Amino acid sequence: MKILIIEDEIQLVKSVALALREEGYVCEFAFTAAEADEKILLFDYDCILLDINLPDGNGLKILETIKNNHKTDGVIIITARNSLDDKVFGLNLGADDYLSKPFFMPELIARVSAIIRRKRFEGNNRISFHEISLDLLGKAAIVHDKEVDLTRMEYSLLLFLLANKNRVVSKNAIAEHLSGDNAELLDKFDFIYSHMKNLKRKLTEAGSNDYIKTIYGLGYKFSA
Amino acid sequence: MRLLQVSLRSLLLYSIVLLLISIPVSWISVQAMLNDEVDESISRQSEQFLRHIKNFEYLDDLETDLEVIDQLSYNIHIKPSKAATQEKIYQTIIQYDSLERSQRPFRQLSTSVVVKGKPYLLTIEMSLVDNNDLVMAIGLVQVALSVVLVAGLLYLNRSLSKRLWKPFYKTLDQLKAYDLDKSESVAIEKSDITEFDDLNKTVSHLTERNRKVFLNQKEFIENASHELQTPIAIFQSKLDHLMQSSGLSQSEAETILELETTAQRMSRLNKNLLLLSKIDNEQFLDKEEIDLSILIQNQLSVLKPVANVQSMKINTSIDPLLIKANRTLIEVLFSNIFQNAIRHNLKGEDVSITLRDKTLAVTNKGKALKMNVEKMTGRFSKESTDPNSTGLGLAIVKKICDSCGFHLGYKYDNSLHTFEITF
Repeated sequence: MKILIIEDEIQLVKSVALALREEGYVCEFAFTAAEADEKILLFDYDCILLDINLPDGNGLKILETIKNNHKTDGVIIITARNSLDDKVFGLNLGADDYLSKPFFMPELIARVSAIIRRKRFEGNNRISFHEISLDLLGKAAIVHDKEVDLTRMEYSLLLFLLANKNRVVSKNAIAEHLSGDNAELLDKFDFIYSHMKNLKRKLTEAGSNDYIKTIYGLGYKFSA
Repeated sequence: MRLLQVSLRSLLLYSIVLLLISIPVSWISVQAMLNDEVDESISRQSEQFLRHIKNFEYLDDLETDLEVIDQLSYNIHIKPSKAATQEKIYQTIIQYDSLERSQRPFRQLSTSVVVKGKPYLLTIEMSLVDNNDLVMAIGLVQVALSVVLVAGLLYLNRSLSKRLWKPFYKTLDQLKAYDLDKSESVAIEKSDITEFDDLNKTVSHLTERNRKVFLNQKEFIENASHELQTPIAIFQSKLDHLMQSSGLSQSEAETILELETTAQRMSRLNKNLLLLSKIDNEQFLDKEEIDLSILIQNQLSVLKPVANVQSMKINTSIDPLLIKANRTLIEVLFSNIFQNAIRHNLKGEDVSITLRDKTLAVTNKGKALKMNVEKMTGRFSKESTDPNSTGLGLAIVKKICDSCGFHLGYKYDNSLHTFEITF
């Protein structure tokens, strides 16, 4: 699965590429709009991460190029301009998602995997990990072919962890993912802990192994 | 007191004083002049009369004739007197006028004459009635003229200064309405009067410079916030990389998490500052009909789980209310005011949210604050030590209320903080 990162900040590109490679993606970069245009015309990508502010042009132009050439690449716009206009404009132009800087890496990975899932496995709306599988349409978790009764929070928590399997996900990233801007309000550790505890209990009661490992002081890791 | 009134007041005072002095003075002087004229006239008459008498001194029965004259003449009386004095005495007397048949003022000259060696007292009178009428008429005309003069002066002064000061008041009104936040500059009218033209030029120069400084500052905040987001993103991504390394000690792990939390705080500050700039720049112009009750319910569905964790209940009583506004702004407004209430609420207490009669009231329990509302809604003012509070939430609430024309009220009563937004 190939991902193109269009971004002029080398350090950011390096980290993003590193994290995505760990998840098994192949990453290529373009640091300028010109480079990006060339690569988009020559190759096909499963997902393109597109920074709108490039030194030699507006990223929205690149998005137009992609759509005009009838490419099916999924596009996530990444921008420091947390501007609603750009967001609406970008999504109208055919971007699949929008992420504003700074972002949590697990969030980016979750979004990338969601887009690739949509593009690649059309019709197949399930992700599985050993005995656990998630029905993305019905928003339900299934263990050993039996549905587990999860709350909305617990379901999105599980999906988030699954998208980031084998990675340490910090409590901050989880809190932000679950409650967005309201994350700052809560004692996130209590909040996450209670949801996580319930999720773990429900999964093990349904007969699943306990894949959620607590990394002390940091967060959680979903791994076999 | 207005400038016009001051000048008008002194002018009026001067006119009235002048009037009060001028009327008696002219009255007296006209009367004195007339008396002089009359005196001269009767003195000539008496001289003529005496000359005629001298011409008739050869007559033997002159004494009898004089007696007859005294009886017949209307205004000349001559009577024998005891002592002969040479003095002429002028005086004004009131006596019975046989012609007019009433008491009338007369001017009288009395003098002694010697006819055929015998002393006589000659008195000649002249009625002053006509003269008095004249003085009266002159006085009246003068009063009328003065009144017209004063009234004319008043009117002229008023209308003239009103016209003259018009550019000044116009400039003043424009300055009063001037708002640095609004994008338009002061449009100063050209005036023919040099001083006002100078003033206007200075004012427009000054406001223009202020506006430029303000715009620069705003742009700086916006750019600085934007430019900071990318470094924070890099910082955060490197931390994420660090987290993945195996064999972290617990204290290392904790440090990494703290760094990440701090980075998040920086980014939140930035986002809020950006939001404030955007509201300033009027980037939220699209308006639509919004049912506030639905919007509130949506937000509460996200907030309630958060509040529940802290064993806090959110009591609501919400009537439907349709308003026309920018959806993003209203969402930000509500989330900020709700978050504020939840953040500063005492543990285990309830937060109440009511929407009724076009007013949203959000109440939470807490200690009294030292700062006033003005300070509370300023940027970066906070009394809590909560590191997650950016000190910008209420500033954003205030800014949105101002830009949408909502009224934001605050009261503290019985250890309950209540914010009220009237739409």
